Amino acid sequence: MDRWQYVLVLAACLAITLPLEIFRPGVYRQAWRAVRAILPVATVFVLWDEVAIWAHIWTYNPDYITGVSLPFHMPIEEVLFFLVIPLCALLTYNAVNAILERFNRR
Amino acid sequence: MTVLGYTVPAVLSVLIVCGLELTALRTGLFRRPAYWLSMVIVVGFQSLADGWLTKLSAPIVVYDSRQTLGVRFPFDIPIEDFLFGFALVTAVLLLWERQRECR
Repeated sequence: MDRWQYVLVLAACLAITLPLEIFRPGVYRQAWRAVRAILPVATVFVLWDEVAIWAHIWTYNPDYITGVSLPFHMPIEEVLFFLVIPLCALLTYNAVNAILERFNRR
Repeated sequence: MTVLGYTVPAVLSVLIVCGLELTALRTGLFRRPAYWLSMVIVVGFQSLADGWLTKLSAPIVVYDSRQTLGVRFPFDIPIEDFLFGFALVTAVLLLWERQRECR
């Protein structure tokens, strides 16, 4: 079970932010816009991460990751991180925008 | 030997992202209260998730101590992670905002 720890942290992030989609206009409802915002940034950060792993700037505890990895020992969880965290941030920003607009209209 | 292989790129990433907005993208994101409020919320939740990933008692991510300043707060999060997170999230929000203008 411990090997799923990193995956579970990411799953929790997705689960906690999912209800924020109720705010308009939404992020999942603008999936293509989200993809075009997240993918270019994720690509750059994955490359940075690959270099950092290669240079042993940081490493991953094998006890807490699934063991599925990309070249240069990059855990699959780390790739997912760069998709999940930006998605959570977009959902937060979408919700905050919607709430502030509601206040400003009063 | 301390080489700050995390600190230096983390600072650079923040400067690059801010520089891109101020010189090229010009989305106006930094003038939106919603952005700054979102960042406060993001940092709050980052502390929880990142805290779990980096806690020294059972770390999922292990840092070479020579590559960071060694300041780990809150919990055991290397402060460099907050620069890294700021650059990651801000860059995504900038590209998101840029598409608002294009439509």
